[in-house]
Amino acid sequence: MNRLLRYMTIFLAAAVASDQIPAPPQTHPILLSNATIHPVTSKVIKRGDILFEKGVITAMGRRIGILPDNTETIDLAGKHIYPGLIAATTTMGLMEVGAVRATLDYSESGTVNPNVRAEVSYNPDSELIPVTRSNGITIIHTTPMGGLISGTSAAMMLDGWTWESATLKAPVAMHLNWPRMTGGAYPYFTQSDEELKKQREERLKILEKVFEEAKGYLEASNAYERGDGPAMDTDMRWESMMPVLRREVPVFVHADEVQQIEGAVEWSRRMGIDITIVGGDDAWRVADLLARYNIAVIYDGIHSLPSRRWEDYDVHFTAPLKLYKAGVKFCIATSTSQFAAPHQRNIPYQAATAAAYGLPREEALKAVTLHVAEILGIDDRVGSLEMGKDATLIITDGDPLDIRTQVHQVFIQGKKIDMSDRHKVLYEKYKEKYRQLGKIK
Amino acid sequence: MNRTISGHFLILAILATQGTAQVKPVDPDQGLHYNTPRVFVLKGATVVTEPGKSIEKGEIVIRDGLIESVGRVANYPQDAVEIDLTGKTIYAGFIESYLTRDEKRKGGRASYGNEKEPEKEEATATAHWNKRVRPDFRVLDGFALEDKKLEELRELGFTSAHLVPNDGIFRGQSAMIHLGEWSAGSIINEQGPVHLTAFESGGWRDRSYPNSLLGSIALMRQTFINSNWYADAWKTYRRFPGDNEQPEVDRALEILSQHIKAEGAFCFEVGDELAALRAGRIAQEFDLKLWLRGNGYEYRRPQEIADLEAFVILPLNFPQTPDVETWETALQQTNAALRHWDMAPDNLQKMIEAGIPFALTASGLKEGTSFTKNLRRAVERGLAAKDALASLTTVPANYLGVEEQLGTIDEGKIANLTVVDGNYFEGKSQVTEVWIQGNRHRLVREPDQDFRGKWLMQWTFDDLTREDTLDVSGKKTKLKAKLVWNESSTDLKNIKIEINNSVSFLFKGDSLELTGIVRFSGSVKDDYAEGQGRTPDGKTIKWFARRTAPFEEKSEQDKPKEREKASTLAVRYPEGAFGFEAIPEQPPIILIKNATIWTSGPAGIMKESDLLVKRGKIWKIGRNLKVSGKVKGAVVIDAKGRHITPGLIDCHSHSAASSINEGTQAVTAEVRIRDVLNSSDINIYRELAGGLTTANVLHGSANPIGGQNAVIKLRWGTAPDDLLLKDAPQGIKFALGENVKQSNRGSDFTSRYPQTRMGVEQIIRDAFTAAREYQRKLDEHRGGKSKSLKKIPPRRDLELEALAEILEGDRLVHSHSYRQDEILMLVRVAEDFGFRIGTFQHVLEGYKVAEALADHGAGGSTFTDWWGYKFEVIDAIPFNGALMQKVGVTTSYNSDSSELARRMNTEAAKAVKYGRISEEGALKFVTINPAVQLGIDTWVGSLEEGKDADFVIWSENPLSTFAVCEQTWIDGRNYFNLVRDQQLREKVSRERNKLIQKILTSESEPPGDEKGGGHYRPHLTHPYSCLQGVIQ
Repeated sequence: MNRLLRYMTIFLAAAVASDQIPAPPQTHPILLSNATIHPVTSKVIKRGDILFEKGVITAMGRRIGILPDNTETIDLAGKHIYPGLIAATTTMGLMEVGAVRATLDYSESGTVNPNVRAEVSYNPDSELIPVTRSNGITIIHTTPMGGLISGTSAAMMLDGWTWESATLKAPVAMHLNWPRMTGGAYPYFTQSDEELKKQREERLKILEKVFEEAKGYLEASNAYERGDGPAMDTDMRWESMMPVLRREVPVFVHADEVQQIEGAVEWSRRMGIDITIVGGDDAWRVADLLARYNIAVIYDGIHSLPSRRWEDYDVHFTAPLKLYKAGVKFCIATSTSQFAAPHQRNIPYQAATAAAYGLPREEALKAVTLHVAEILGIDDRVGSLEMGKDATLIITDGDPLDIRTQVHQVFIQGKKIDMSDRHKVLYEKYKEKYRQLGKIK
Repeated sequence: MNRTISGHFLILAILATQGTAQVKPVDPDQGLHYNTPRVFVLKGATVVTEPGKSIEKGEIVIRDGLIESVGRVANYPQDAVEIDLTGKTIYAGFIESYLTRDEKRKGGRASYGNEKEPEKEEATATAHWNKRVRPDFRVLDGFALEDKKLEELRELGFTSAHLVPNDGIFRGQSAMIHLGEWSAGSIINEQGPVHLTAFESGGWRDRSYPNSLLGSIALMRQTFINSNWYADAWKTYRRFPGDNEQPEVDRALEILSQHIKAEGAFCFEVGDELAALRAGRIAQEFDLKLWLRGNGYEYRRPQEIADLEAFVILPLNFPQTPDVETWETALQQTNAALRHWDMAPDNLQKMIEAGIPFALTASGLKEGTSFTKNLRRAVERGLAAKDALASLTTVPANYLGVEEQLGTIDEGKIANLTVVDGNYFEGKSQVTEVWIQGNRHRLVREPDQDFRGKWLMQWTFDDLTREDTLDVSGKKTKLKAKLVWNESSTDLKNIKIEINNSVSFLFKGDSLELTGIVRFSGSVKDDYAEGQGRTPDGKTIKWFARRTAPFEEKSEQDKPKEREKASTLAVRYPEGAFGFEAIPEQPPIILIKNATIWTSGPAGIMKESDLLVKRGKIWKIGRNLKVSGKVKGAVVIDAKGRHITPGLIDCHSHSAASSINEGTQAVTAEVRIRDVLNSSDINIYRELAGGLTTANVLHGSANPIGGQNAVIKLRWGTAPDDLLLKDAPQGIKFALGENVKQSNRGSDFTSRYPQTRMGVEQIIRDAFTAAREYQRKLDEHRGGKSKSLKKIPPRRDLELEALAEILEGDRLVHSHSYRQDEILMLVRVAEDFGFRIGTFQHVLEGYKVAEALADHGAGGSTFTDWWGYKFEVIDAIPFNGALMQKVGVTTSYNSDSSELARRMNTEAAKAVKYGRISEEGALKFVTINPAVQLGIDTWVGSLEEGKDADFVIWSENPLSTFAVCEQTWIDGRNYFNLVRDQQLREKVSRERNKLIQKILTSESEPPGDEKGGGHYRPHLTHPYSCLQGVIQ
């Protein structure tokens, strides 16, 4: 108990620090002991131990007998350990204040921008990062937006001095915004059916053309490599498309409405390109199709209103359950919109709503940990607590999907993270004001 | 009067009709006098003298524009021209009750996305300050009906019309006209019976007031007040010119006040059934005689509309057939739209059943001809032809004040008649002619001869005579034919019949050894046809033909079409998915047993307890409560393992309102959310499903002093007024910071005052100062004795009145705010003016000045954890709520979002997470605390004896993220429960399938005519949040 108190004081002290300092690499082995461990890929271990060295989990079980020299042991009686949560899609890192244009870097001008890369504009000193991290989000999938092809995204660890040291994987995917296929049922949706149709066809034509030209570029480039063709001038856009055409980088298609999703699936089959659906409001309506072609969904709509007046009030709450039952691989994200970027800390509560409306709780947890890692292709490193994976984990006093739970400590690749953030700093500052006024103790 | 019809106009009129020798008071005739007699007798027709009365083979005598006599064996005068109308039906000439003068003022309605400055209108001394207030507009000035339009109307059977102006909020007075050739003689009454009004406004980006429904209603109310005051002011001035400065002359107000004094009617053009109720409220407030130009949605609230005792002019704008061809496109169709498609054709019959008097208009239709088609559908579905006829004749004649002249076929009436080749209300009959002011207008569109059938044709050329069979088929005016001889035949090309019964055809003569094209032309009468032709080499052909067999329609077409039946759907409240067929019952007694009861009151959280409700009020909370078995209809619920909380309260909502921001002016205290409540907003139901029962529906944050709020209970299914929590104190929205400075609206919005927080303070101080002075003048006038009687009374000003109520402490200010400086500023302004701010809304930096809020006594209603969306929220922290509460501020969490409003229970849990408020205390952030802030804690907010039975049953601890709302009760009525919700969704999907099938199998029905049907969706609201100032 004493130990716990001391432990509490340590991070309270950290909370009043004026700024958050990236942690140094793990210098010595750390044993988290006597906690309830939720590995996600295996059964819950009660009063379990987990040992990590140089950022990697080296042992885990009921009791780890032999410890390396110099091991720091932290007793976590009554606490829980979970894999770090992952935000499956967000503009965080590419923006600071939504209404201030100067702080926005997520949307390049023009329609076709396959060559822009999210990770190079990731601002590791964004105030959004510590606030998000404080609630157990350890990794985010930073995603460019806008146009038809927005660029490539990256998986970023929420700690690091530079964007390079924060990058876990880049590129993760090429992002494609499927054209709007049908009129929204909103009173102010002013586009006529004809205008919409025209715009849709234009966009689809560009999409066809982009991939045709990129293919041509790839063939010419292959021919040159083989010595069958002449040297060619570089086209930045098509250059960046080559890994996509070689199926080394998947395409993440942003699509919500059923005709968009159907269109994207047909396109992926025709083009022989691997896709994942991002958004997926209506994905449950074509769950069989997605399951058949093994297409995953980053579902971002749980906390959004039904898009059609006649839909069930819980249509988005229950969508994950329907995807689960149909065997579709999915994970849970907040809305992709820039408004959601500062609110990534609430991701676990979207998963909780899905659980409240029927999704098994362990699936809800996977939907913000393991399944995100799998869909982003980073499950070799994160997403679950397993030997050999990164020691990217969180210590809580309960289920992180419950709002009342506090996240006590975050480790990213074994680095003990500064748990302070702008909000805590301001909280402490103004508590002090009221202590001075004698209003609170 | 100045009769300035141009010369060529007059000539046209004379040429076009064979005689319109009306009484011309002053015009000198030009050229020869025109003196053709105008005496006719119409014979042989069925004369429908009035709805329900007809004379078979009756006669009508017309003399000099009037009906001289009507009857079976009328002894008609010898000088009459006889016109045989055997087989025809004659009705009194139809009246078009709402013919719109359609041209629009330049720079009138700004389209969405129009960011330009409003066009400067030339200010004239006689114009009203607001360009949308123009009751002085004279609808006939500079107006002419084009021949084409006149013909269109006559083809529908209309002979006279109620012409209405169509632009503005106050649009001007109507006029009555005849639909003969347009001339001075067309005018029946230049000053028609009504003034036209509408809730017109510009879009969100229009900068002229009003740009919202809110504003247009407020402007309408203020204008009625002004008109009444104007009359008084001038009366006083005329009596005491030495004691008063002369009031300004305002032609608009003058005209309105006269019309009101004369008890003239006002006709409100309304876009849906809720708008009709809004018009009703205004008519009631100002004691106006109410007319409505309806919309086809009246069947949705027949009782409420009947209660308005209004005369309604209805269009026949049946909706477009919804696109349901694929299951994907069908998803975009709401149940409300599918149901409307099925129910709209029954609207007229529903009006009859509700006892609502109505007339019809063909205005608002894409194709005029669908008027007749649609009316016939309505009749086929059950509307009595008699009622349909009345709505085109007697009813409008009565209301339009022309019942002495028009509406029936009767001696002494104007000879306006509609002649149809059958029953107008059935089948495919057509109007063949109309009579207007005793002048005949024939509407021949087809030759009267039918060329179809088998003919034996003899034709001669070069001494050669052939006899062949001509077989003519197809449609009457779109013929097909072949020439048949022996065993062979050839198809005719280009066979035509003209309106004068001339026929022509040609064919390739090769198989008859006539190389080339053989041409025939001639004419047909009855069973005989003849004419000439030319062989390919130019030789003359003579031909004649005798009909040997009549044309027979294919049996398939003869099959009688299945009669269209009335919709079997029952109206839901509100219409569409998840609507109720009736408001939920209020059981006399409800006992809920064995629950964990979060009272949010002094009793705290009571475990394993019972809640007893009697007639909508909480009777008792305790253990082992019992209900006598004798009470009929008592409801007992075992809630073991369940949690019960008070109904949740959202202190900042924009749900259930059709209009949110009047964003044009910096001060719009006169606009009221309660004027625009939208009881059809589906978000009401969705929020009930999250345990919400009460909401503070606020104006948006576009201006420092916004509009008045409405505190509502989510009584799904009731009419808008019944949503109101009746005794709730009145409130008003204020806003500070970036939104009101228009900081995030781009470089086009940099001129409206204020553009700084400094200016925000000044405009608020200025408004309150003006309100104080306004109040002083009112008091002086009321308090002063004989002296004040000589003075022009102060004008009632809705804006200043609302502000004065704030100063009196009768209206709570709910101020949108972010930064500590502006929060403190408003506290100090309020203190200077001696009132208390009700709540600061959002109040994201409230934690920085919590002691000032606590000392002042303002509540803090905050977002839990929103931040980062604009610069002024850079210091927002999720600990805000807890810290304010701990320092002594009554704190609530609000949603400002129809989505978030569905899960305020888990928002409350954030007070536990961020700031470690107890669970009991945290729940209060969404129950008793907002109730206190809104001054409604006497009735709601906690579960205590005597309060309203507004409560929620949860599956588990309501602060758990895994909790599900199972039942929501308001006033002891169960507005939501999971079981009924399941039934409703099954109903929704069954109904969809049924209607989609019906649509797919009814291809033959005409497509709909709703103008712009695909885009305007009157019953959907756009989700709004105060954040919208930023993200568009």
